[in-house]
Amino acid sequence: MEQADYILCECDAAALEAFVGELESCHTIQIIRQPAVCMTMVKAEDSVESQPFYLGEVLVTDCEVQVDGQAGFGLCMGDEPVRSYCMAVIDALLLSADFAATGVKAFLDQQAVLIADRERLEYNFIQQTKVDFKLMEQD
Amino acid sequence: MGYIAVKGGSDAIHQAKELVEFYRVKEQTPPVSVEQIRTQMRLACDKVISEGGLYAPEYAAIALKQSEGDVFEAAFILRAFITTLQRRYYSETINTREMFIRRKISASFREIPGGQVLGPTRDYTQRILDTTKIEETLKDIRQFLDRFESTIDKEQIKEITTYGKVIDLLKREGLLKGVGNVEDTTLKDITREAIKFPAPRSARLQMMARAETGGLMALGYSSMRGFGNTHPTVGELRYGTVPVRVRDRAGRVRYIGKIELTEAEMITTMKTDKKNSVPLYSIGYGLCFGQNDTKAICMGILDRAMRSPEGGAPANDAEFVLYHTEGVEAMGFTNHLKLPHYVTFQAGLSNVRQAVERANAAPAKVKAEPVAG
Repeated sequence: MEQADYILCECDAAALEAFVGELESCHTIQIIRQPAVCMTMVKAEDSVESQPFYLGEVLVTDCEVQVDGQAGFGLCMGDEPVRSYCMAVIDALLLSADFAATGVKAFLDQQAVLIADRERLEYNFIQQTKVDFKLMEQD
Repeated sequence: MGYIAVKGGSDAIHQAKELVEFYRVKEQTPPVSVEQIRTQMRLACDKVISEGGLYAPEYAAIALKQSEGDVFEAAFILRAFITTLQRRYYSETINTREMFIRRKISASFREIPGGQVLGPTRDYTQRILDTTKIEETLKDIRQFLDRFESTIDKEQIKEITTYGKVIDLLKREGLLKGVGNVEDTTLKDITREAIKFPAPRSARLQMMARAETGGLMALGYSSMRGFGNTHPTVGELRYGTVPVRVRDRAGRVRYIGKIELTEAEMITTMKTDKKNSVPLYSIGYGLCFGQNDTKAICMGILDRAMRSPEGGAPANDAEFVLYHTEGVEAMGFTNHLKLPHYVTFQAGLSNVRQAVERANAAPAKVKAEPVAG
C-alpha cells in the first residue's frame, strides 16, 4: 500500500490522469466526497530525546470515491484535486477482488521505474558535491 | 490606557489598495508567473512556508506575488489562510533519519557517515553581483541543464542510500546525553492553546519552527557573542526531503508526499546543573520547513539556551525569545503603531502642554525639557 501511495504521489500527474481516464469507461465511479483542500498537522520529534512537537501544517487534498461499490480514499500533499481523485480511484481498485484485471499494477510498475530513475539521477548530482576538506597541515 | 476606535476612510483605503496595485504593475512588465516564483525564487518561498507555518510552496509563491516579495506579509497571508481550512489529519511522527539527503555537513567531525555533502549551497562562494543574469534566456537555462546533466556518467550511476547521523555516533560512545532538566515534556499545540510560561519544550520547538528567521538569528547570535553561555558547534546540518504519512479512517498508514526540511543538531558542552560535573555533550535541536540553514542553526542554539539553568541573558529567557521571534505578531504590533492614535496622543499632548505651562509659570529652577519616548 505504501509503495502504491508513494508512486501515485510522486508520478507525473498528466500520466496518472490519462491512465485513470481510461479506467473510467470500464468502471462505475461514484464520487462520495469531492476533492477538497484541508490541513494536516505534521508531528516531529527531536533526534536525541525524542521530544515530540508539532512542526507545522501541510496543505493536502483528499477525496473519497466508490468504484463498482468498493470504497477508495485519496490523500496527497498540495492543491491537487485531480491527483487525489485518481488516487482514490486506484485505491478502490487495489482493494477490489478483480484488481489483477485492471492494469493498475502495470501502470504502477512503469511509473516506479521512472520515479526511481529520476531520484537516482538527482542523488548522483548531489553526490558530486561531496567534499573532503584537508587540514592546512596536511598535504 | 484605553483605545478609541476610528471610523470612515473606506474610499481612501480602497483607493490605497488600488494604488499599491498600480505601483506593482505600472511599468507593464510581463506578469511573473506563480510557477516562476516557486521555482526561481525557491529560497524566498522556503522562508514563507517556514515562517507561515504552512507547507504549501505554490501558495507561498502566490503570497509572494501578491505582496510584491514582502516575506513578512506573505507569511502573514499564509497564517491567515490556514485558519480558513479545516485540519482533518495529523501525521504520524516524521522520521528525519529517512531523509533523502540533499545536503549534510558537520563542523564537528571531518569524517561522517557517507561523507560531507555540500549540496545546493552558496557557502564558500564569493558574493559577486552576476550581471549576466540580466540577459538570461530560456536557451541559457537549457544549455546549463544539458551541461550539468552531462557531468554524470550514466554508466556509473550510484544507488541511493541513507546515512547514519553524527549524533548517533556520539550517543553510542556514551558522550551525548539528554539535557536532563526536569521539565514539562507534554505535547502541546500552540495553534490550539495559547502559550503559557514556563512553556513545555514541545511548545517552544513549535513556536521556533515557524518563527521569523531574522529574529531567531539576532537572538542566536547574541548568545554566541557572549550574552549567554551557549557555545555551539554544528554537529550535523541536513537538508533534504522526508516522507509524511497519515493514518486514514480505515486505520491504514498512507504516504501522502514528502516535505523539504532543514535539520540542525547543535552540540554544546554546557553544564546542566551544579551537581553534574561530567562535561558530557548535549544538543540543541532545530527543524524547519524548506532550506533554511540559518534558521535551523539558530533554532538549535536557542533550544539549548532556553534550557540553561543559569539564565541571565535574553537568549536564555523563553518568553523573551519566543514572543520576540514570532514574526507575524511582532510585525502586527509594530505596524499597529501606524494606525490612528489621535485620541491617546492628544490626551498625552494635553498633559505635556499643561506640565510645560506649569513649569513656565513657576519661578523655580524647573525647566521644560523634551519628553522622552
